[in-house]
Amino acid sequence: MTRNRRDPRAERAAIQVASVRGASGPARPRYDRTAKGTAKAAGGRPRRDPRSERAGQQVPGANRPRYDLSQIVHGERPVLAETRPRPAPEAASKILVVEDPAFLVAVVPDATGGRLSAHDRQVLGAARTLAGRDGGVVVVSIGPCESCGPAGADRHLALEDAGADPASRAARVTAALAALTPRHVLFPESRDGGDLARRVAVRMGAALFDNAEVVAAASLVRPARGRRVEQRAAPGLLASVAPDAVADYAGAPREARPLTVDLAPAAGPTSAILSAERIPADPATVPLGLAEFVISAGNGVHDLDTFRQLVGALHATPGASRVLCDAGLMPRHSQVGASGTVLAATCYVALGISGAPQHLQGVAGCEHVVAVNTDLHAAMIERAGLAIVKDAQEVMPALLRLLAQEAQRDAGDQM
Amino acid sequence: MRIAVLLSAGRHPVSGAAVLPRLEAQAIRIATRLAEAHGLHAGPDAAHGLHDGPDAAYGLHAGPDAAYGLHAGPDAAYGLHAGPDAAAVADALGQGLARIEHIVLAEGADPVPALAARLAATAPTLVLAGRRSQGGDESGIVPYMLAAALDRPLIPDVVSVAPGEESGTLRLDQSLGRGALRRLVVRGPVVATVHPDAPAALAYAFGQARRGVIEPLGPIDPPGIAAPAAAIEERPYRRRPKLVKGAPTGGSAAERLKAATGESGSAASGRLLVDPDPDEAAREILAYLRGIGVVAPARSATAGPKGG
Repeated sequence: MTRNRRDPRAERAAIQVASVRGASGPARPRYDRTAKGTAKAAGGRPRRDPRSERAGQQVPGANRPRYDLSQIVHGERPVLAETRPRPAPEAASKILVVEDPAFLVAVVPDATGGRLSAHDRQVLGAARTLAGRDGGVVVVSIGPCESCGPAGADRHLALEDAGADPASRAARVTAALAALTPRHVLFPESRDGGDLARRVAVRMGAALFDNAEVVAAASLVRPARGRRVEQRAAPGLLASVAPDAVADYAGAPREARPLTVDLAPAAGPTSAILSAERIPADPATVPLGLAEFVISAGNGVHDLDTFRQLVGALHATPGASRVLCDAGLMPRHSQVGASGTVLAATCYVALGISGAPQHLQGVAGCEHVVAVNTDLHAAMIERAGLAIVKDAQEVMPALLRLLAQEAQRDAGDQM
Repeated sequence: MRIAVLLSAGRHPVSGAAVLPRLEAQAIRIATRLAEAHGLHAGPDAAHGLHDGPDAAYGLHAGPDAAYGLHAGPDAAYGLHAGPDAAAVADALGQGLARIEHIVLAEGADPVPALAARLAATAPTLVLAGRRSQGGDESGIVPYMLAAALDRPLIPDVVSVAPGEESGTLRLDQSLGRGALRRLVVRGPVVATVHPDAPAALAYAFGQARRGVIEPLGPIDPPGIAAPAAAIEERPYRRRPKLVKGAPTGGSAAERLKAATGESGSAASGRLLVDPDPDEAAREILAYLRGIGVVAPARSATAGPKGG
């Protein structure tokens, strides 16, 4: 069977608009191509719209797009039912209680300032893996430590603070561990945690499986010989866990029941350390890679004196974009980005920087970014947590004025 | 003042070639400068014409040859290595050590008893070490075991050492990360490990490397058999994916990418102010910075609300 033969001339004539004669010469022929039905009648099949078909196959309710390809949908009719219902999030998560744990897995967190760090939470996740269903995880913290339960601790033993001397802290932790007799003890492999782990290992005379990158009930894995080999052993008494290697505990919160252990009072001060004094970092001279708070100037900043005043007033470390360093306006060691310094700062303020990809690489590790730029579509504005579309040259003096006003008010208060 | 620098047979992390670990080279710089400063101020051989003057205390300004020639005696920094082959640590001579003591040990033997015996015999005031070996087991426990065996305090993460004001004391600056320091004054002999933030190592000098000597100390009577290590199985290293912070579990690759490039955190819910008044922008910025905690809150705000 054959289709009717198309007659383009007749189709064209059918959609021609009756022309209005203009002032100059004969009117051009005009066609109404929006006329419905003409093309269909001529071509036969309706035209496919792949996009709306795809949208019609999408399963609603998932947080990433899922398509049900078995449903062939013509037109814009949506898929009626979700094929696989997702479990609803639990309304109230119950607190899990392990009444009589078969064995204990101890975790000695850094807990700087009484709070678990991200690394500490990962170590607690590793400890939960080792504890399984029957075991209990006990946090042995020096000083108080909050929110251990949601992080996966069944018990919590808070030792009294033994001072700054790491040797006496190690002695207290060793005594507490001897009283608890845990099956495994985990430390974070951080600056303080790694130090404490080795001191405890030497005191207990036990081997330390340090820097474990994989923690499972069957075995621990650590890299060795410049990451040429990995060593694998069954979990022993002491181990320390590498950062960003093990996931946090993700289950329901635990009770973190407080424990008390009778410890002999700390021995007298036999420490060889005569005095300890903390010297905070000087933001003006600290290397850019170590700085905590960096303010950078880019090509949108012309008045570098004001910029330096602002940096000094906010106690930040000065940085710069490649353009300023190339021009010799800022020293080369202050350059931020792939060819300069990659930052590890908490907060980064970009003044007049549009955000070249190489610059953004240097900022990738910063948690908070503030951008001031005249270009709404700059990449830095998109990256920033607080983006201000304004000339940095006007914002810098305004900030300095505001800081001066506050200082004046403070001085007035103290009078 | 005797300063011992523990030297390990390091391997380069990429090429695998024998190399002096960076931290030990930094330790050598700390040790030679301390020996120099001590020798010039208090040592018996402080009187010499070349380096008198205000700059003389700084190793950077003193001529390297004269300084090392002067302190090559017992009052100096020296290296200590225990292992089968001394060629592995010969680089340390070029970094500034005039003398390296080499305890010959069998391959795979535990170096701690031999090192402890030698250090107990020579009793240096300060023992400097890196954080962990490089290319070996990399457990980083040797300084701790040595400190326990010698019954000395261990000070970790040191970036500079200077003689204290009282005699017999040392002033050590300990790195706390992010450029912050803790200044400790310590009495008596100590063991210290060096932090990577310590001043960079001096350049390798070929002449010094030729003049330096390595003294083999003969095999020390065989120490006790090394503690039987737990059954450790070795396999070729396999890289494992690092955890991406902030990505939801079970999320898509696009979400992990966003988390990795830092676009999902504060940036995803970022505030955008288009063409505000400069003063308003300044207030917003300051409030944001105070909210994070990088700028100290205004004193008038903490003291209480203020009228007017």
